[in-house]
Amino acid sequence: MKSVLVIAARDLKRFWSYRFWLAGQIVMNVADIVIFGLLFNNMINRSLIPDYIKFVTPGILSLALFISSFSIGREVGVELRREVSDYLLSLPVSRVELVLGRFTGGALRGLIYQSGFIVLAMLLVGVPSGYAWLVVAYTSITLSFAMSGLSIALSTVTRDFNLQATIRSVVYYVLFFFSNIFYPPRVIAARFGGFADAVAYSPLSIATSLYRWAFGYTSEVDVAVDSLLLAAWTAVLLLASYFLYLRNLTKKG
Amino acid sequence: MKARLFKALTMSSKTSAVRIVNFTKRFGSFTAVDSLNLEIYDREIFGFLGPNGSGKTTTLLTIATVYKPTSGDIYVYGHSVTKEDYEVRRLVGIAFQDPKALWIDKVQDMLEWHARVVGLSRVEAKNVVKEVLETLELWDHRNKYFYQLSGGTRKKVELAKVLIQRPRLAILDEPTAQVDVPTKHKLWDIIKMMRDEGSTIIIATNDMFEAEKVCERIGIIYKGRLVTVDTISGLKDKIPKGDVIEVTIEGDGLRDRLLNMLSEIGRVDYSGNIIRVFVERAEEKALFVADMLRSAGVKVKSLMIKEPTLDDVFMYFTGARLIESSQ
Repeated sequence: MKSVLVIAARDLKRFWSYRFWLAGQIVMNVADIVIFGLLFNNMINRSLIPDYIKFVTPGILSLALFISSFSIGREVGVELRREVSDYLLSLPVSRVELVLGRFTGGALRGLIYQSGFIVLAMLLVGVPSGYAWLVVAYTSITLSFAMSGLSIALSTVTRDFNLQATIRSVVYYVLFFFSNIFYPPRVIAARFGGFADAVAYSPLSIATSLYRWAFGYTSEVDVAVDSLLLAAWTAVLLLASYFLYLRNLTKKG
Repeated sequence: MKARLFKALTMSSKTSAVRIVNFTKRFGSFTAVDSLNLEIYDREIFGFLGPNGSGKTTTLLTIATVYKPTSGDIYVYGHSVTKEDYEVRRLVGIAFQDPKALWIDKVQDMLEWHARVVGLSRVEAKNVVKEVLETLELWDHRNKYFYQLSGGTRKKVELAKVLIQRPRLAILDEPTAQVDVPTKHKLWDIIKMMRDEGSTIIIATNDMFEAEKVCERIGIIYKGRLVTVDTISGLKDKIPKGDVIEVTIEGDGLRDRLLNMLSEIGRVDYSGNIIRVFVERAEEKALFVADMLRSAGVKVKSLMIKEPTLDDVFMYFTGARLIESSQ
C-alpha cells in the first residue's frame, strides 16, 4: 500500500508542474459555466432546461474530473516512448503496486482538481445533504479511477506518438461530446433517436446524473441503478486497463 | 598445478550473486543473447565488455527484471528472475545507459522520490539525497529540470539513484559514458567504495580502460554470445604468444614485405607505422626483430616490449577490434 501511494505521489506532484496547462483548464471549465450559463441561459428553451447554470454546473464537475484524471495518459505515453517505463519496471515494487499506483495518481489528480468546482457547484446549484455527500464522493472516486485507467491504457496501446495522440483525442471527444453534460436526455433523444440510450449509459453521463441528483438539481435519477452502472464501468475499465497497461509496458521484453 | 588447484578451490568457495543459466533473449527473429551461461560472485566488480549491440544491455535489463528471458533463467542471490521477479528487484539497483527521466522532472525531486520508492523514510530520503548530491557534485543542479542538464550530468544523476539505493547488486550500464576524465576517476572510486561496502557490481562497458581500471573479472560478449570470461591477467594469459613487441618505424610503405618477414616470428598486427608482433618470451625475440628490420633497410624509431591490451584480448577472441566494432 505504501508503494502505491509513493508511486501515486509522483504523478500528483508532476500534475502541478504543468502550471500553464492547469491554468488553461481552469479557465476553460469556469468559462464553460460562465459562458454557457450566462449566455445560453436566455437563449434556450426553458421548458427543456429551466436554469442552464444549474443544469450545466454538475456536468462540469464530471468534465473537470475527467480532464484532470485523463491527463495522466500523456506522461505515461511519453514514458513508454522514452523508455522511462524500463526504470519503473526495475523498481523494487510489485507489478500490481506499480499499476495501482499509476491509477491512483491519475485519480488523485482528478479528485483534487475537482474539489474547487465542487465548492462552485455548492454556490451555484445547492449544498448536498448527508447521504448525497456520499454519492458525490462515490461518484468522484469511481469516475476518477475509471478515467485514469482508461487514459493510461490508451496511452500505451502504441509507441507511435501521432497515433497515440489521435486515439486519446478521439476517445476524449467522444466521451465529452456524447454525454448529457451540455444537453438533457430529451434533446439528445430528439436529435439522435435511439442513440440517446447509448449516450445516457456513458460513464460521464451516469456521473453527471448522479451529481445533478446529489446537488439537488433533479430528483429523477435512480441513484442505486446509476451507482451500480458506474461501478460496472469502473470495474470493466480498470480491469481492462490493468491488463493492457501491464502487457504494453512489458511488451518489448 | 598447485596454483591452479588453489585458484579453483578459492573460486568455488565464493558465494554466487548472479547465476545465468542457458539464457537466451530474442526480439522477434533477432537473437540478442544466445545461450549465455555465467556466474558472478558476491562482492566482485564484474565487467561485460563488448561493442554496442553485443547483448550487454539486454542481459543487464533481464537481470533487473525489465525483460523476461525467452529461454533459460537468471538467479540473483538464488531468486529466479522469471518466478521471483519482485524478490529480485528488491536486491537490484540499476543505472541505465540512457538516463531515465521526463523533461519536467527536477533533479532533487526525482532522487527523493527514488529514495522513497526504494524504501527510505521521508527524513532519510532527504538526508541521503543531499549527501549523494554533494558526493557527486550535483548539489548546484538540484533544482534544475532534467532537460537543462548536460549528458555527463544526466549520467551522474542516474548513478545517484544506485548510490541512494545501495542495492546488494548494482548494475551500471556504461556508467561513465559522456563523463569528463576527472569525473570518471571519481566515479570509479565510488564504484569501488560501493563494492567495499558490500555491493556486487556489474558494469557494462565498451571502454577498455574502464574495464581494466575497475573490473576484477571480465566477460567478453560479442554478437550475443559470451566469448570468454576471466580475470584481466587471466584473459591476457589466454592469448598464445601473448607478449607484444611494438615497433614504430619511419614511413609505412613496406607493409607487405614486413608482414611476410615478421609473420615467421609471430602474429603481426600492422596499423599506420606501428607494427605489433605477438610472440612468446618477447625479451628474447626483440633483438632478433630489430636486426631483421635493420637488415631490411627499415628505420626503427622505437621498439618496446608490452603486455597485450584488452583490445588485443578482444581481437584474439572475436577477430575484431573493439573500437571498430563499437562504431
